[in-house]
This record gives sequence, C-alpha cells and structure tokens, in this order.
Amino acid sequence: MNWLQSRTQRELVGEIEANRERLFRMAFAWSHDSALSDDLAQEALARGLAKLNQLREADRLTSWLFSILHRCWIDHLRGLHVFEDEEALAELPANTPGPDNHAEVQETVNRVRIAIAALPLGQRQVVTLVDLEGLSYSEVATVLAVPIGTVMSRLCRARAALRQLLEPERAEPRLRSIK
Amino acid sequence: MNEIHDREDFSDERLNAFVDDELGSPERDEILTAIAGNAELGQRLCALRATKDMVRHAYDRVPSKRRPHARRLPMWGGALAASVMLVAGMFIGWYGHGAAAKSEPDSPLAWAAGLLMHEPARVLIHLDNSLPEHMSEALDLAEAYLAKASKARVEVVVNNGGLDLLREESTPFAGRIAALSKRHQLLAFVACGNAIHRYIGNGFEVTLVPEAVVAKTAIEHVADRVREGWTYVKI
Repeated sequence: MNWLQSRTQRELVGEIEANRERLFRMAFAWSHDSALSDDLAQEALARGLAKLNQLREADRLTSWLFSILHRCWIDHLRGLHVFEDEEALAELPANTPGPDNHAEVQETVNRVRIAIAALPLGQRQVVTLVDLEGLSYSEVATVLAVPIGTVMSRLCRARAALRQLLEPERAEPRLRSIK
Repeated sequence: MNEIHDREDFSDERLNAFVDDELGSPERDEILTAIAGNAELGQRLCALRATKDMVRHAYDRVPSKRRPHARRLPMWGGALAASVMLVAGMFIGWYGHGAAAKSEPDSPLAWAAGLLMHEPARVLIHLDNSLPEHMSEALDLAEAYLAKASKARVEVVVNNGGLDLLREESTPFAGRIAALSKRHQLLAFVACGNAIHRYIGNGFEVTLVPEAVVAKTAIEHVADRVREGWTYVKI
C-alpha cells in the first residue's frame, strides 16, 4: 500500500497544514516580503486542499505543494497589484534598508538575502528549492515545469552570480561595461 | 600522475551536481579521485559548497508573518481586472472630468481590461518607493511579462524613492538591469525628472544607470501611456 492510500483524508489535511512554515519560508526567499509570503503560503495551502484529489501516488507531498506555490507566485506576478494601498506605500520612509527584520538577522544573512533577491526570478527559485529544501533536480524541474537542463544551467548561473556578489574579491573577475 | 583534468572535464554543471549529490557513483568516484591531485578542483568544489551553505542558512529565521499594515492581495482572476479598471477609471477621471470614473465590475471597461491582461502587449510598471523587495518585484514582474510575450513592450517607471532603483549610488540591481536590458530590446527604464531634481536639491548625487532614460515627470509619463492604452501596474 503506498503512502497516499494509507492515509485518511483527515491525515492528509493535517500533513498539508504542517507544510505552512516551509511554504512561507520559500515564498519569503522568493519575494522577501513577509506579508506577501503569508498570502502566497495561505493561497497555496487553500489550493492544495481543494485539489487533494489531483494528488498522484508518485507525488511527494512537499514538492507537489511547492509546485502549487510556484503557480500562485506566477499568478501574483502577472496579476495583482493593488491600488488601494497607495496611501500606505506613500507613508513608507524612503531608503528603508534591507529585509524588514534586518536588525535581528546577522549581517551575513542579510548580505546573502540581498544577493539572492538580486538574482533573476528563475535562478532564485531554483537555488532556493535546491538549497533550502533539498529538492532533487528532477523535483525542481517538475515544480517549475521546466526541463532538467534548465534547472542545471540556472543553478550554475545562480551560484556563480552569488559568489560574485558575496565574494567579489575572490571570484573570477567579470568585465563590466562602462558607457 | 600526469593525468590532467581541466575545466572541460569538470564543468561547473557537473561540480554543482556533485555538491548537490546528484551524480551516480561512477561519476562521483571520478571526481573524488581527481580531487587528490588537483588543488584547483578542490577549491572550486569548496566555493560551491560554501555558496550552497550560505543560501541554506540565510532563511533559518524568517520574519514574523503578519505586518500591521499587510497588503491585501486581490489575487486571482476577476480582482485583477477590477484593479486595472480602477486605474484606467482614475485616469479617465482626470482627463475626462469624471466620465466613466465609477465603472462597475461588469462594465465593458472591466471586460476590456481583463482582455488586455491576457495579451499584455504594452505594460507600464510603476515603482515609487525604495523598498528592496518592491524593487525586486518590479524587475520580477517585468521579467515575467517579457518571458510570457517576447514582443511585449515593458517600461519600468520610477519616481520618489523608487529612483533609487536607477541610481548607481544606491541600486542593488545594476547587474540585473543591465542583463535584462541586454536581453530585451523592448524593455525601458524611465526615471522621473522631478524626482532627480528633488534628490539633487536635497544634496544627493544622482548618476543614472546607463539603461535609464529620463521623463519630465513620472505622472505625466504614466498618464500618457495609459491614454495610449498601456496596461498600468503599480508595485
């Protein structure tokens, strides 16, 4: 009997709920916005629960949820954007530094997060799925619906870029065009 | 012992796969054997391992979830069309003296806005603050649109604190802006002339990244684009 059949609906719901923190953390590593991450994690859980019947035996629950989170995030990027919070935004001070709890986290952590935030979208998703959650390349390919070769090349470029951003003096020199 | 492994033998992709435990045992053994006589290979693996560890621990502690003024996301589906409609309505309100400013969700305007979003041929992304996550979101959004429709025209227009995205003195994203511009001819970055004057007036230096162009004011630019039928997105 496989893992999916061996669980009652109620147990499955519990296991999905138990992934909330991981979904939040991944969404935060993608967006660096805690309120947005909370919404994305919530939406992914809600969609996951609604689509329980689509969960296949071969799926690993967590990576299945990450693929739903990925679709939530892409939908967010294509869509949303709220006009009603313009006033709240206008009240924010200019030059607010760093991720929003920057005072609590160590400087290194902050530097790494900023470097990750500077990566192109696709590279950021691949490197965080592999390094934060330990997903295999083939799982990442499934989550993001891209070929495994794309996963590997994005990961390569992401790590090279991170190294360049975090240790510019040690990484290989990169020419920067000056116009 | 004169076996020489150069970079051709051990590509970065292979070494990454080694660090991520993605190789089968023959390939893994080959690298393990080679490390002994190849200091450079060892250093490259160390660097990859260190980068991986830094990413892994960068999110051990994440912020508390809810901020007091959490943004409400009218995600998914109809709400999107509604927000575009609201914006379009606002500009029609400005220029049409109130006509159609209060469209109902089912109005033709909302319907058209919904259609527009499915074919985002021309998209204007407006950033007016310097929060790094909002800067990043503006670039993500531009990238997502351009990936979806290669012939889309996308402009990122900045004013107020958003100018920091395009100032060399402050942007964390100079490399990414350069790379995106290189890849997409139809992507433009537009800085607000007023914001530049204000920055200089307050004693800040303003050197724009080479990809940026200047509009007289961001608001006029946004208004022009919206009248031309561009889809407007406020970060």
